[in-house]
Amino acid sequence: MPIDFISDLPYNVGQMAKLDSLGQFEQLVLTAILSLREDAYGVTIHSKVQELARPKAVSLGAVYVTLDRVEDKGLVASWMSDPTPERGGRAKRCYRLEALGERALQESAVTAKRIWEVIAEVWGKEWAKE
Amino acid sequence: MHSGPSKTAEAIVAVFIPPACREEALGDLHERYISPGQYGLDASRTIPLVIVSRIRRTADPQVLLMQALAWYASFLGAAWLNDRAFLSEPWGLPRLAIPAAMAMLGLTLEDAYAKPGPRSPLDLARGPLLGVGLALASQGMFRIGNPTLAVPTWIMLYGCAIGLLLSCAVRMLFPPATDRLQGAKVPADWLKQSGGPPGSPEAGMRAVQGVAAVVVTLLLILLIAYQVWQTAKKG
Repeated sequence: MPIDFISDLPYNVGQMAKLDSLGQFEQLVLTAILSLREDAYGVTIHSKVQELARPKAVSLGAVYVTLDRVEDKGLVASWMSDPTPERGGRAKRCYRLEALGERALQESAVTAKRIWEVIAEVWGKEWAKE
Repeated sequence: MHSGPSKTAEAIVAVFIPPACREEALGDLHERYISPGQYGLDASRTIPLVIVSRIRRTADPQVLLMQALAWYASFLGAAWLNDRAFLSEPWGLPRLAIPAAMAMLGLTLEDAYAKPGPRSPLDLARGPLLGVGLALASQGMFRIGNPTLAVPTWIMLYGCAIGLLLSCAVRMLFPPATDRLQGAKVPADWLKQSGGPPGSPEAGMRAVQGVAAVVVTLLLILLIAYQVWQTAKKG
């Protein structure tokens, strides 16, 4: 029997291969995790997302909601780090991109690049540099 | 020297954050601390979204629909048994939805604030009990503030008793998502799909149950709408 037809498994292989397109905020959060590498946790991800989304203000709560959602989709994985004194002796929840997340981000980047090329062609390279 | 929020402020904020994400959320808020005012503002902006996200993770729409149906049917049945005339009173049927909605609120919050991991059948009863508590508290407030919206005492008591039994039964058949063990790196969303892969008999049965619950709920809504329309016509 193929592995994806065994209902006792917690998830099936068919679902693993499914790739949803990312929303804009999800793209920002995944890009932040990608750029922060080993140091991706709530506060740093929020700062990076705020930097990427400027001048728009981004709340920490919105970042948490998106992190939970992308984790549920299997795009990122999380784990708890050791407690640190600057956090009042509390642990961080660190994040890293999973293979599915990297693929999803790659697809989004390719689409964004195509949009960018068309805009640059129509509005001119000078506008694109601004 | 690094300054942080006072122990009291942190303890107050910790009460509102669901235990499953308390450690990291409190740590992040601590790290961002600048002043007591900023900490309060940051916490008040962050916590509601943390709760919403936790509810989204722990709530299963199909099971919630079944629970809502069970609670409303309990109060409807209690009214049918105790005071049939109440059902034909103006706003009789919509009034029965208030304690049912409060019970649902209790259930949802209990699941969101439950510690992750397996729970005993007795622990599963905590949600329905909190729901009963909220339903009774809301009726107490209506009796003081707006008695026209209150449901008669015997209907409430019978309804709560039937609802408690039905709700506990539904929770044992369909345990909340927090009760299922989450393996390392396994996304929670996939674990929530206990019905098996699409096309399997388990998924089919779950879909049939969901559809049946939706049909019965729609019938109830139509019944309520009809009564509201009749009341408006008489008025």
